[in-house]
Amino acid sequence: MSEQTRRGRAVRWGVPIATVALVAGAIGAGPVIAAVQGDPVLPERTAAQLLADAVRATESGVKPMSGTVMQTASLGLPGLPEVAGMGGTSPAALLAGSHELKVWYGGEDRFRFALPGRMSETDLIVNGDQAWLWESETNKATRIKGAGQAGQDHDRAMPMATTPQQVADEALKRADAGTAVSVSNTEKVAGRPAYQLVLTPRDGSSLVKEVKLALDGETFVPLRVQVYAKSAAEPAFEIGFTSVTFTPPAPDNFTFTPPAGAKVEEKTLADLGSRPEGGQERAEALKGGLTTVGEGWTTVAVLPFSTQDLKGPAQRQGDRPGGQDAAVVTDALLKSARQVSGAWGSGKVIQTKLVSALLTDDGRLLVGAVTPEKLTEAAGRR
Amino acid sequence: MSTVSGQETVSIGTGAAPLPRARAVGALRAWLRLLGSEVGLTLRRPRNIAMLAVLALVPVLIGVALRTFGGPDETDGGPSVFGQVTGNGLFLTFAALSILVQLLLPVAVAVVAGDSVAGEAGLGTLRYLLAAPAGRTRLLGVKYANAVVFCLAAVAAVALSSLLAGVLLFPAGPITLLSGGTIPLLDGVLRIGVVVLYVTAGMAALAAVALAFSTMTEAAVGAIASTVGLVVVVQVLGVIPQLSVFQPYLLTHWWNGFDGVLRDPMATGEMGQGLLVFAAYIAVFGSIAWARFTGKDITC
Amino acid sequence: MLTVRERTPSATLPAEDCSIVTRGLTKRFRSGQVAVDALDLAVPRGSVFGFLGPNGSGKTTTIRMLLGLVAPTGGAWELLGTPMPGGTAAVLSRVGALVEGPAFYPYLSGEANLRRYDAADPAADPRTASARIGLALDRVGLAAAARKRYRAYSLGMRQRLAIAAALLGPRELLILDEPTNGLDPQGTREVRGLIKEIAAGGTTVFVSSHLLAEVEQMCSHIAVMRTGRLVAQGPIAGLRAGEAVRIRVETPDLAEAAAVLAASGLAQVRTGDGEVSAELGADAPERICAALVAGGVAVRGLAVQRPSLEDVFVGLTGEGFDVNG
Ligand SMILES: Nc1ncnc2c1ncn2[C@@H]1O[C@H](COP(=O)(O)OP(=O)(O)O)[C@@H](O)[C@H]1O
Ligand SMILES: [Mg+2]
Repeated sequence: MSEQTRRGRAVRWGVPIATVALVAGAIGAGPVIAAVQGDPVLPERTAAQLLADAVRATESGVKPMSGTVMQTASLGLPGLPEVAGMGGTSPAALLAGSHELKVWYGGEDRFRFALPGRMSETDLIVNGDQAWLWESETNKATRIKGAGQAGQDHDRAMPMATTPQQVADEALKRADAGTAVSVSNTEKVAGRPAYQLVLTPRDGSSLVKEVKLALDGETFVPLRVQVYAKSAAEPAFEIGFTSVTFTPPAPDNFTFTPPAGAKVEEKTLADLGSRPEGGQERAEALKGGLTTVGEGWTTVAVLPFSTQDLKGPAQRQGDRPGGQDAAVVTDALLKSARQVSGAWGSGKVIQTKLVSALLTDDGRLLVGAVTPEKLTEAAGRR
Repeated sequence: MSTVSGQETVSIGTGAAPLPRARAVGALRAWLRLLGSEVGLTLRRPRNIAMLAVLALVPVLIGVALRTFGGPDETDGGPSVFGQVTGNGLFLTFAALSILVQLLLPVAVAVVAGDSVAGEAGLGTLRYLLAAPAGRTRLLGVKYANAVVFCLAAVAAVALSSLLAGVLLFPAGPITLLSGGTIPLLDGVLRIGVVVLYVTAGMAALAAVALAFSTMTEAAVGAIASTVGLVVVVQVLGVIPQLSVFQPYLLTHWWNGFDGVLRDPMATGEMGQGLLVFAAYIAVFGSIAWARFTGKDITC
Repeated sequence: MLTVRERTPSATLPAEDCSIVTRGLTKRFRSGQVAVDALDLAVPRGSVFGFLGPNGSGKTTTIRMLLGLVAPTGGAWELLGTPMPGGTAAVLSRVGALVEGPAFYPYLSGEANLRRYDAADPAADPRTASARIGLALDRVGLAAAARKRYRAYSLGMRQRLAIAAALLGPRELLILDEPTNGLDPQGTREVRGLIKEIAAGGTTVFVSSHLLAEVEQMCSHIAVMRTGRLVAQGPIAGLRAGEAVRIRVETPDLAEAAAVLAASGLAQVRTGDGEVSAELGADAPERICAALVAGGVAVRGLAVQRPSLEDVFVGLTGEGFDVNG
């Protein structure tokens, strides 16, 4: 009889156990469904064919589309604290975690990007010669003059400026003798079959294991870029569509009227490009002293720099919103620095998953996607 | 008064068995009667009335404070909703809900849902309800439905008092969305309705957790304190960056996810995911509560 | 006849004539304590059934099991001819119950409290609720205090309200766990009268008590519990009639007296300190007296002893009862 009660109890508790299993199943169902459906198989293409297709597709203009882009960074920045209230627009915020960008693309000169934050949003709306930057956080609408020409100048790269396209271009430029290139035709991105170009550095001292670039199987639009570091199985950096539809977005996405009560400013593209507080000159000065050592994946940049330089601007920027975050990041990085010395001198090494930096005591900064050993080696070569 | 049908209903149990459909209708009516009794008990209880009053008071206080001291300067970097309240009173609803959903609303829901079974057990009334016979599954269903009704009442109390205070203290008019577009006032009120339903769903998920705790103890305070403690711990876990992978599975992470209604077009993606998470919590903790309650010895 | 454990109740009565039947009903708590051990009860329809036992003997646990509040760890039971716990929903509407004292919402009035319990019963008709609640309050003498908050009720009023809750509908069976607890003598008398009145209407009343006097005064049947075990059950009349009457002889001649009693055909002859006793049976005491005198026994005193119910139960349970209540 007590056997019966025991069985009753087992049956009863079976219900929540089954529910938990069901929920866990639903969470894991994405991969399972994908596995059951099997990999999509596209017609085979070589890397060269694929790139040609991609270029052709770009030349004939990207089809109208809309979608959501997700950017995920796990760069392994040491001790990076979560900055409270860090919105999606803060530069430091982009160094860790996931960030979402919404894209509506109606044509070369009609597009909208929206960067949603918690109870805030930043929008860039371009419609013909009208361009607006809207920042809900500050209730400010900025009319950008000369956007029309700029659109023509920058041409097709523009709509994809912060989408996979830009990053893809960068990765492709690097493809040279130092890179092994392979293509797979069984990827799936944002629910669409895609080709994937895999670029693997041949030099063992590179921190980059491989760069994967997924192109839509139908339109050859870059759908995703992933950068893998040698030290981790998950991508250190990833940007790609999580959903995409190649249908023209509703026209009212491209119209913008500054809402009542908003501050309206007018700026030219040049205004936006120049940095305040003499940033421009600093950039020029840096460029002047910049030299490189090595080439391809293991290029090391060498520039004159000192800890003071690093701290100075960060503190000054502290007065501006966003500058605070930069200061926090800088501090965190410096704190994690490791003292090294050798025949070349001595200095501090900062290492992340993808990038190493060496700050020598004689006032040089060496940066590269390479191991610290490679940096010290470069430091020795004057 | 005593019609023929009335007399038939009175003699249920001794007369011929009613048709299945009539029986189903009768069962539903009896269920609603018990729910009505439950809701009446909840809303007549001084403690619960006090909680609703406090919840309704907070938006008024926020509104008065904003009116008196002005919104935060944008250089403060504070949440922009507060700044927007002074421009449009309707934003007080969003500001108030996004603050209250963090702790005060969950506490109120935990009190009612955590008390629901354990409180009756502690009073001893549970044994008489079950001997009535209320039926264990039926009683648990009514208890949960009642908790959900209270969630709606609490969220609606916040929303209505915010609307009222917002309209009285600040200018009201077409709403500027986060995306910069503008929608008419009435549309804005409709979108507030969507937010009320979403937040209610989030609170209903917490109510399921509290109900499960409530079936495991005879001390209502224990169930309430465990629920509130859990909420606080999960809120803390949610802001630890090293644990950010777990965030999407945390209930509290989704409570605030209603800012999509303020975008153009309305961004339902996050709210849809939130609702799925809420549904999962309700299913898991609801079934735990059921398994526990239907197999429990009522010894007090 | 008082049946003692060997005779199973199902052998005594057909199950369909019983409002409550249990077979081997057992409850072993998590702590390992066996509160009720293989209980075989048969409560005849229409009876007022006294469920007697000292504190902690398992009465309340039995009642909780009957009502489906506590799951037995063994055995089976039927209420009103329906196997339980499957028939809980159908049967319990026809059963009124008072379990281990009153329990109500302190912030509600007596009337609102009854309405609450009535709402929990799916078979109760909401249209007749007010009338039924009024009637129930009236029957327990609480009509005047109906609007008062339960918090303000005295102990006795609370107990009455609990009885009223058990009387909310037309009941075929009332299960009352210590219904006179906390009542003054006047209240106790009223409840006793109420139970008799209800029973007269054909309702079976199963009433537990640790008070022998109470059970003796109102019950037609009785069952006795001792540490979770049933030690006796049957009609109370049989108990009174069936118990042996003894004859007790005071004498210095113990051996002779015992011999004479045995020779007269009496059973259970016992020799004590200055006295000899035996079961009298149907024999006339004067005949035994004559036989003793004829046998040369010096009879110093002679008494016929009718044992009280209390003696019987002390013998059965090994514990005393609070006879005065
Ligand atoms: N929940 C419980 N857990 C463990 N033991 C219990 C529990 N309830 C009652 N008991 C024990 O079971 C025995 C019978 O208790 P009860 O049925 O209340 O007796 P009665 O009502 O006859 O006084 C007692 O010894 C009591 O201590
Ligand atoms: Mg008891």
